[in-house]
Amino acid sequence: MRVALVTGAAGGIGRATADLLEQRGWTVARNDLPGVAVTGHAAPADVSQPLAVNAMVQRVSDELGPVSLLVANAARMVMGPVEQVPESEFWRVVDTNLGGYFACARACAPAMAQAGWGRIVALSSEWGQVGWSRATAYSASKAGVISLTKALARQLGPAGITVNAIAPGVIDTPQLEVDAADLGRSLDETKRLYASATPLGRVGRPEEVAATVVFLASEQAGSLTGQVLAPNGGTTL
Amino acid sequence: MSERVAFVTGAAGGIGGAVAGALEERGHVVAHNHLPGESVPGYSALADVSDAAAVGRAIERAEADLGEIDVLVNCAGFVQEIELHEITDADWRRMLAVHLGGTYHTCRLLGPRMRDRGRGAIVNLSSELALAGSDVMAHYCAAKGAIIGLTKALAKELAPAVRVNSVAPGPTDTALLTDLWRAPDYLATLPLRRLSTATEIAAAVAFLASDEGSFFTGQVVSPNSGTVI
Repeated sequence: MRVALVTGAAGGIGRATADLLEQRGWTVARNDLPGVAVTGHAAPADVSQPLAVNAMVQRVSDELGPVSLLVANAARMVMGPVEQVPESEFWRVVDTNLGGYFACARACAPAMAQAGWGRIVALSSEWGQVGWSRATAYSASKAGVISLTKALARQLGPAGITVNAIAPGVIDTPQLEVDAADLGRSLDETKRLYASATPLGRVGRPEEVAATVVFLASEQAGSLTGQVLAPNGGTTL
Repeated sequence: MSERVAFVTGAAGGIGGAVAGALEERGHVVAHNHLPGESVPGYSALADVSDAAAVGRAIERAEADLGEIDVLVNCAGFVQEIELHEITDADWRRMLAVHLGGTYHTCRLLGPRMRDRGRGAIVNLSSELALAGSDVMAHYCAAKGAIIGLTKALAKELAPAVRVNSVAPGPTDTALLTDLWRAPDYLATLPLRRLSTATEIAAAVAFLASDEGSFFTGQVVSPNSGTVI
């Protein structure tokens, strides 16, 4: 049975992805911050801490077997005018969203290469493709996720590892509460606002992103690498 | 739930045949479009896709025989590896008539129908060469690029009921693929060091056409072994 590691698995896209992977027969290690409850096999670590990531990946490998699918999903978001974002907060976002992906990929790639088969799927964001006002750190970190994905795809391809990114549009997850707070609107108003600007007329569901991860992890997606798949309801074409 | 019906153009070809098979595995009844002289392993929808009237007749007959079409996949195509100075006006027109014209003809007929019925998914086959260009088939690159533009426009026009996406394959191991793309020196430039299979292209099409891809519209997905990143 193949082992998947999903970071940021306590809620939203991460939890939906972990659940769907389990339904499809994967053994799933669910990472989130220490002290945050997850269902299933917990693999706590703050992904912005490389040493903690190394230890966590080693533990997962010892307990469940080598990781053959990494879903780098753990993310932090702050919103606000660029001049009001403290520098420490900028780096916390980058260190989690981009640095966390880097650390996890670096820790997982050797075992995948040894097996001659691996899948890495990183969660970027539509805002990493087009940028977003008042989400400067988040946009920068998620754009970095795309470039890191492309570089890793080139490097790891010959070893039989595919590396792809998903850039979702607005998805109905707890992260939307950060937008709502920044906009000074209720969560429902925020969803309606985004839905009205989306050709498909709604915000996305975590399960739709999870289905995209499962597709990229499948055997038949084996010639997809270095790509960015964008379930965004048609907002960015 | 009523039976779902798919119309696949170029279904006698490597990718079109694999797409038809993948959709059948997912429970679709498939109308296999093909040219005279080609054979298909199921319901036959004979038409040269560059002929709008023939496409219209084939679609009307398929809907009468099988039911309302809710998935359309445009695969019909061919390659012609010649340089710019060798491309005649007739070559140019044929290249655009089959790829862009064929896609346009089927979308023009089925897109609004799907919209009016409140349900549908369209996947148009482009090519990695629309993204990267090629030094031996400018007309093919132009036609495949135009399909991406058409796809994005229709994604907006037919939303929210109908989703329209494109798959842009890299070099794929089918009968269409020439030795140019099979040479070891070329394959060594691909991050994955190998061709795609028709099954892999079909899997991407089936993903986008199915409920799994329900938040995708206007997108280009390119299984290409990493040749365009």
